[in-house]
Amino acid sequence: MNTLIIFCLLIALFLTGMPISIALGLTVLTFLFTLTHVPIEAVALKLFTGIERFEIMSIPFFILAGNFLTHGGVAKRMINFAASMIGHLHGGMGLAAVVACALFAAISGSSVATVVAIGSIMLPAMVEQGYPKRFGAGVIATSGALGILFPPSINLVIYAVATSGLSAIGPDGKAVASASIGQLFMAGVVPGVILATLLGLTTWYRAYRGNYPRLARASWAERFNAFRDSFWGLFLIVFVIGGIYSGVFTPTEAAACAAVYAFVVAVFVYGDLHFNDIPRVLLQSAAMSSMILYIVTNAVLFSFLMTSEQIPQAMAHWMGTQGLNWAVFLLLVNLLLLAAGNVMDPSAIVLIVAPILFPVAVALGINPIHFGILMAVNMEIGLCHPPVGLNLYVTSGITKMGISELTVAVLPWLATMLAFLVFVTYVPAISLWLPHLLGLSP
Amino acid sequence: MLRLLDRLEEIIIASLIGLATLLIFVSVVHRFATGVPLLYPYARQIDLSWAQELCVFMFVWMAKFGAAYGVRTGIHVGVDVLVNRLSPGPRRWMVLFSLFCGALFTGAVGTLGANLVAKIYSTGQLSADIEAPMWIVYLAVPFGSYLMCFRFLQVAWVFHRTGELPHRDHMQVAGVTEAAP
Repeated sequence: MNTLIIFCLLIALFLTGMPISIALGLTVLTFLFTLTHVPIEAVALKLFTGIERFEIMSIPFFILAGNFLTHGGVAKRMINFAASMIGHLHGGMGLAAVVACALFAAISGSSVATVVAIGSIMLPAMVEQGYPKRFGAGVIATSGALGILFPPSINLVIYAVATSGLSAIGPDGKAVASASIGQLFMAGVVPGVILATLLGLTTWYRAYRGNYPRLARASWAERFNAFRDSFWGLFLIVFVIGGIYSGVFTPTEAAACAAVYAFVVAVFVYGDLHFNDIPRVLLQSAAMSSMILYIVTNAVLFSFLMTSEQIPQAMAHWMGTQGLNWAVFLLLVNLLLLAAGNVMDPSAIVLIVAPILFPVAVALGINPIHFGILMAVNMEIGLCHPPVGLNLYVTSGITKMGISELTVAVLPWLATMLAFLVFVTYVPAISLWLPHLLGLSP
Repeated sequence: MLRLLDRLEEIIIASLIGLATLLIFVSVVHRFATGVPLLYPYARQIDLSWAQELCVFMFVWMAKFGAAYGVRTGIHVGVDVLVNRLSPGPRRWMVLFSLFCGALFTGAVGTLGANLVAKIYSTGQLSADIEAPMWIVYLAVPFGSYLMCFRFLQVAWVFHRTGELPHRDHMQVAGVTEAAP
């Protein structure tokens, strides 16, 4: 009964359009003042301890690193590199857009920034070359979301943070540890590459059928130059994963060093950023991180309430008595996340949903890493899912196309992504193979 | 006066994130330096074990003030699908309602936080590494929350007067607009 009240109140508050963090916090406060006897002091303490852990601090650092590199020439360099490598195939510009989006999204960590940065350069160029506008818009809107799977992904950090410290009991009655940031980063690579390849194949096939123009084949010297030009940006990915994997530093330290590295590359190596821009970049990153950290604080409160009401346990028990197995559960989770992905910010969804569903998933024998990757893929699809995916809005802003026209435009790629989601959901090995190979997970 | 507060807020959060980054970077470099035999004698003399704790405290302060800054600039996102479909009359009430809910919540949290600070002050608790009095650290909660409360009321007032809400333009993400050649 209490559970029902909590969720009804939360959904009602969400629908008024108030900030997600406030809706979460108000739900908890209302509940505490009226329905339970949990001491208020415990809550006040949670308001502070919610973000006291050092690993959470990697979020602002990664945001800062990404913001340094979203500036100016990095997008252009990624596009040149991608175009020189695969531009000569069918639909060359489209394929280059997929790869450029994947690389840029990985580095910047923001799908919106990716769509804007790559889209504002690529889309006019594609139209000029004779591609239909819809084709370009579809490619950019969907590929822009790829960043969520590639390390350093803020979304995966948030999943690790949201689930860490939760007590979860596996089907065999043993406690299961939640997934670490390092494990999730590694696990995201293979699905990320596969998804990018699938989007590329879709692009290639449509371009092949439509006989869209190809670029001239670049010489190896040109390729090498383009690679050398984009190398410093790309090295950030290697730097972060390599550093965490080899144990040189913790994820948070990796993030801080990545921010310093990104600063050096943007200011001294590429020279895209001037010293007077720095306060603005700092301010934007700080504001962005504060917004996420504020949701983290309130989501911690909310999951504290969930735990004290034993809701995840009740759900796990109910699942057990209904005889639902993990396959049905994951299907339901996918539907829930796709629906939520339509209306909410990915980081907010993960923060709210992960602590509730994680213990249930573990109780059904689902690997925490696999579950995290599955959520990430869902978040990617949610970003470009009509009617209100964020990427669609941003693309519509660049192309001046209506949402309904874009809906048609993204369909082939969206269908590919949904097929991939089914694949990721029911083949855990895709997410688990690499961490397993590297000895990161048992 | 208000502009001074705005400016101060911006300076505080921007310098906190910048300094925290440098701090952690320096502590990593320092750890490497202690691993190099040649530098060890010098590096050994500097103790940076407090860096992590200070970094966490800096981010707590940044997050609380940044959240208030976010209210002013409209960064806090909500589910606006339904609200945007309402006709202007009901929409206006809905927006005002949600802004007041924001003010109510942050005001309540500020008060709870103030009580907590008072309680911790009386225990004289110190932090683990820096040994800073914890009540000063926790002071971020009432300060930040009351500031946020004030910002919500400010936004509500402006909305009431002019019908305008602070809105973040997605097209200007991190200045990428300059990217177009």
